[in-house]
Amino acid sequence: MEFDALLLSRIQFAFTIAFHIIFPSFTIGLASYLAVLEGLWLLTRNETFKTLYLFWVKIFALSFGMGVVSGVVMSYQLGTNWSVFSAVAGPVIGPLFAFEVLAAFFLEASFLGVMLFGWKKVGPGLHFTSTVLVALGTLTSAFWIISANSWMQSPSGFAGTVEEGLVAVNWMQVIFSPTFPERLAHMVLAAYLTTALVVAAASAFRLLRDASEAESAMALKMAIGMLAIVAPLQLLVGDLSGKVVLEHQPAKLAAIEAFWETRTEQPFHIAAWPDREIAGNHWELSIPKVGSWITGGSVDAEIQGLDAFAPEDRPPVFIVFWSFRLMVGLGMAMIALGFWGAWLIWRGSPARSRVFLKACVAMGPTGFVAVIAGWIVAEVGRQPYVIYGVLRTEDAVSPIGAGAVSASLMGFLVVYAIVFSVGALYILRLLAEGPLAGALEPAPSEQRAPGSPLSAAPEDPGPPSKGDH
Amino acid sequence: MRDIIEGPPDSEAPRPPLARRLAWFVALALGGMAATGAVAYVLRALLGLE
Repeated sequence: MEFDALLLSRIQFAFTIAFHIIFPSFTIGLASYLAVLEGLWLLTRNETFKTLYLFWVKIFALSFGMGVVSGVVMSYQLGTNWSVFSAVAGPVIGPLFAFEVLAAFFLEASFLGVMLFGWKKVGPGLHFTSTVLVALGTLTSAFWIISANSWMQSPSGFAGTVEEGLVAVNWMQVIFSPTFPERLAHMVLAAYLTTALVVAAASAFRLLRDASEAESAMALKMAIGMLAIVAPLQLLVGDLSGKVVLEHQPAKLAAIEAFWETRTEQPFHIAAWPDREIAGNHWELSIPKVGSWITGGSVDAEIQGLDAFAPEDRPPVFIVFWSFRLMVGLGMAMIALGFWGAWLIWRGSPARSRVFLKACVAMGPTGFVAVIAGWIVAEVGRQPYVIYGVLRTEDAVSPIGAGAVSASLMGFLVVYAIVFSVGALYILRLLAEGPLAGALEPAPSEQRAPGSPLSAAPEDPGPPSKGDH
Repeated sequence: MRDIIEGPPDSEAPRPPLARRLAWFVALALGGMAATGAVAYVLRALLGLE
């Protein structure tokens, strides 16, 4: 393996996007959660919802900031490391990114200020409007980014060639490319699951310390509700997404399932050791015929294997195969956690089961892991193309030297290690303190000039009660 | 951060007039947008873009 500019640029992009995707996948769900909390507070005036809002909005602000910082790096890399891709596809894909910034990011950034600094100033109604707009902004952001990425997976609505450049001829087909609807639903649900798992983990951590903390108990129940509904729904949407992959990216599906031979009655490989060198699996643990049924809807469905594609057109199989299984395995664990929690709620209170609370804490990071694993499936499975079937990754890289990319990659490794470690540790510290840490702080006492007679006087005990007489 | 993030008004506190609340809403929204735009232009300047 030669560490040339191409490989180093791919490593750099993979490293920076793996860091970046952590934050939007969390803030998309968290913004909606904040809107729900504030809406419930407005409806019920239950102080628990207000306390939870004021706690999670701090986490949101920090995560949003780190998402912005890491996102800027992504867009600049398209110019510095993938300039041929930008030059060829810019007229098609550039406006999608521009809409993301103009419509979504500015919406989020504008009303985040009202969310953080304006509750007393603008009043409850306008503040709630801001929270809802920020939540809509995060979803709109997801819409445009997934639209851009889906076009790279299944390009449509364009004309031209790599040599002369691509232009859009039908914007609706560009924006709503064939794989877009299922992929958007899959990503948004993944974001909601990621947030639910973090909220559940933070709440469970607090309840393990103090089982009577009403705010954490409420947050845990809300998170369980989200998991119990969304995790099974995600399984269905994921299956739909897989069907779309079969239709539009059959080589990716063959890599996901380690199908090497085109045939009916494909087996489902629970585990295997795929190897491109031998164009087969060293070993496999399989269920006969079930692979055709899952992917094609019938055991008699003929599913293309990797033998249908020239060796140079096949994606890496091992990493795609195992990333997919990691994602699905974690998804199954999320479904189990949601149902377990729902059963505990039905039986009484999930806060009483320490085993369940510990399981929630352990599952806290799995949403992030599943999101990254899913993106590895999507992006590595698209290889060797950056625009599927149109532009190869090796042809999309900038004409730069390996030394320059090595230097920037080392810089990213060092800066990210410092900046994001500090940020993540601070967020973890806030999460560990829990929602009541700030809310229970005593109000600052009235300032009295030092050295004055009043400074030596005791605090006003307030009006006497009846018992004092 | 607790001191920076503003909580809701007291339910018993008198409400400021709608015009003042709307003015704050617009000012804070424009402030957020201006801050974002300023950061973008600083980044462009640092990169030497036109």
